Amino acid sequence: MERGVYNNFYNYLIDNFEREHLPERHLESPALLAKRASAFQFFNLKGLPSSRYEEWKFTNLNRLLKQEFTFQPENEPYHTLPEEIPDLNAFKIVLINGKLAPEISDVLPEGASFLGSTALDDPDYAEKIGSITADPENPMLALNTAFFKHFYVLHIRTKVVIEKPIHIAHVITGNNSAAFIPYRMLVLAEELSETTVVETFNSYTNHPALISYVNEQKLHPSAVFDSYVVNALNEDIYLVHQREVVQHANSVFNNINISAGNAALTRNELNCRLADSGTETNLLGTYITTDRQHVDNHTLADHQAPNCHSSELYKGIMMDRSHAVFNGKVYVHPEAQKTNAFQQNNNVLLSEQAVINSKPQLEIFADDVKCSHGSTVGQLNDEAVFYLKSRGIGEESAKRLLVEAFVSDVHSRIRIPALKDYVYELLRLKLQSESLITA
Amino acid sequence: MLKINDLQTAIDGKEILKGITLQVNSGEIHAIMGPNGSGKSTLASVLAGNESYQVTSGTVEFDGKDLLQMAPEERAREGLFLAFQYPVEIPGVSNSTFLKTALEEIHAHKGLPPLSAKEFLKRLKEKQELVDLKTSLVNRSVNEGFSGGEKKRNEILQMAMLDPKLAILDETDSGLDIDALRTVASGVNKLRTENNAFLVITHYQRLLEYIIPDFVHILYDGKIIRSGSKELALELEEKGYDWIREVRPEV
Repeated sequence: MERGVYNNFYNYLIDNFEREHLPERHLESPALLAKRASAFQFFNLKGLPSSRYEEWKFTNLNRLLKQEFTFQPENEPYHTLPEEIPDLNAFKIVLINGKLAPEISDVLPEGASFLGSTALDDPDYAEKIGSITADPENPMLALNTAFFKHFYVLHIRTKVVIEKPIHIAHVITGNNSAAFIPYRMLVLAEELSETTVVETFNSYTNHPALISYVNEQKLHPSAVFDSYVVNALNEDIYLVHQREVVQHANSVFNNINISAGNAALTRNELNCRLADSGTETNLLGTYITTDRQHVDNHTLADHQAPNCHSSELYKGIMMDRSHAVFNGKVYVHPEAQKTNAFQQNNNVLLSEQAVINSKPQLEIFADDVKCSHGSTVGQLNDEAVFYLKSRGIGEESAKRLLVEAFVSDVHSRIRIPALKDYVYELLRLKLQSESLITA
Repeated sequence: MLKINDLQTAIDGKEILKGITLQVNSGEIHAIMGPNGSGKSTLASVLAGNESYQVTSGTVEFDGKDLLQMAPEERAREGLFLAFQYPVEIPGVSNSTFLKTALEEIHAHKGLPPLSAKEFLKRLKEKQELVDLKTSLVNRSVNEGFSGGEKKRNEILQMAMLDPKLAILDETDSGLDIDALRTVASGVNKLRTENNAFLVITHYQRLLEYIIPDFVHILYDGKIIRSGSKELALELEEKGYDWIREVRPEV
């Protein structure tokens, strides 16, 4: 028997694929349909990954995904949406339940394009689906490949420098029951281009939703790509988010991933393949969890070529009965000499019931490299709390100051002031809960 | 202002203060001297509300209120200040955010309107000149990477900003060179008024040449064994702590 989870949601998907999904997709190219069919076959066999999979050991989908998610009709009207980051001066693209809302989205400037599902008609784009992903043996990825309903391409042409950030707002709203929302994106950053992309996840709904979002990114030589992912989803949302990045020579990839919402489940998988020499990869992240939230960050820096530099810092604050997972893998291939790879994961537990599973994983097969990693779990420094209190600062404010200080070395690296303010505000909201004191 | 009556404390079951009685009135400066391990810093910590010490007996009244019933932050809001012997480094919290938060909470407690950003900065600038602390340090994280002397001056800066009724200086002179000592002392002297009071804890008489006490108490083995005027400090300095053992052979 395979090690999967074969629950009602699984059964629904198996039944849905041929009966509804495929007929609806009949205009797609045979090549894509073949990809979908083979992914479906794999998913059919493996099921949803159970905790018996090493990569899902601490994230038990059997327990977490209990809702009976189904595909929802797409024509739901939506009301005016709140502006998540009012002062953000950016080109904005709004995806509602995975579907592009063109009337409230901006057109990108010359040299950049954001294409909807018509991109599938272009074999140059369509054939890249699944080509950047490093892990073909991943059931959740297969699930997305088989079922994604929308496909987008963000394409930045050679030498184009986009001055303003591109803000992709992922919004979940208007569903009438538990929704399954799978969609996908491809990012192509051509040679010497420079782009900043901010992706925010927000939800305005009373119904649960499971988002399956895969983003494949190809950075051509000397491309610079700054990326921010801010998750502010509310309680009933389950996000399975996989980002696959391939970096070519001398490209720079900066990613800051912030989980500061209340989503029940967040699984961020961020896999970077450093395919040619001279690349730079900076992966930063924070997660602030309360109640029974579960946040899992899996990262991979796959050093395939010499002279690449990767650096990683993830920091987490866990309160109440929340559970966080950090798995940071650094793989250095034999040919990847002169690799610099640094990794750090620091955690603060503010409650006896909170859990962190932190797993640095270094596999090094080259002999002339500099690699280091560190993982810490602790509490707030009592002496510092007392010091603050002795100046008249109450317990809650004191702890809030120290928590803000703890994540500040990540948050201070957000280069867009309006975004920094937004993240600060999210953090404040998280820290307003009673969780700080009852710890 | 401060009335300590038969205060006894223990840490991990070990008796440290064995019955301290002391009264400090407005406008007074009291010095507490004593050898290492006599309980000087314990007294300071207990007054500030450090919970690692257990009060086993006695009372402390601060402006007529029961000090021991108050949380550390309430004590500070009521006007008690401790300049720590070893100030903590707090990376990521800037000095100015820290002071601003403290002042906001103290003002709220007293029912005063919050300081405007402008008023705050004006006051900060004024007080940092008083202790001769560079702006670059004031803008840094609390005590992070500060030298020993800078940390102590930062304590006095905080004291000046918060304007307490009673300030306890816990070995503020330790680790200070003579110039820093003068700066700190002149800061304290400028802050002295008819309405506030200081409790200066020190091992050496040196600080008391600059901050002239009205009373000197000698703490030995958890008890005040002798009180007197400022001359007592000189006598102690001259004769050394062995002298106490001769005077009080029972301790």
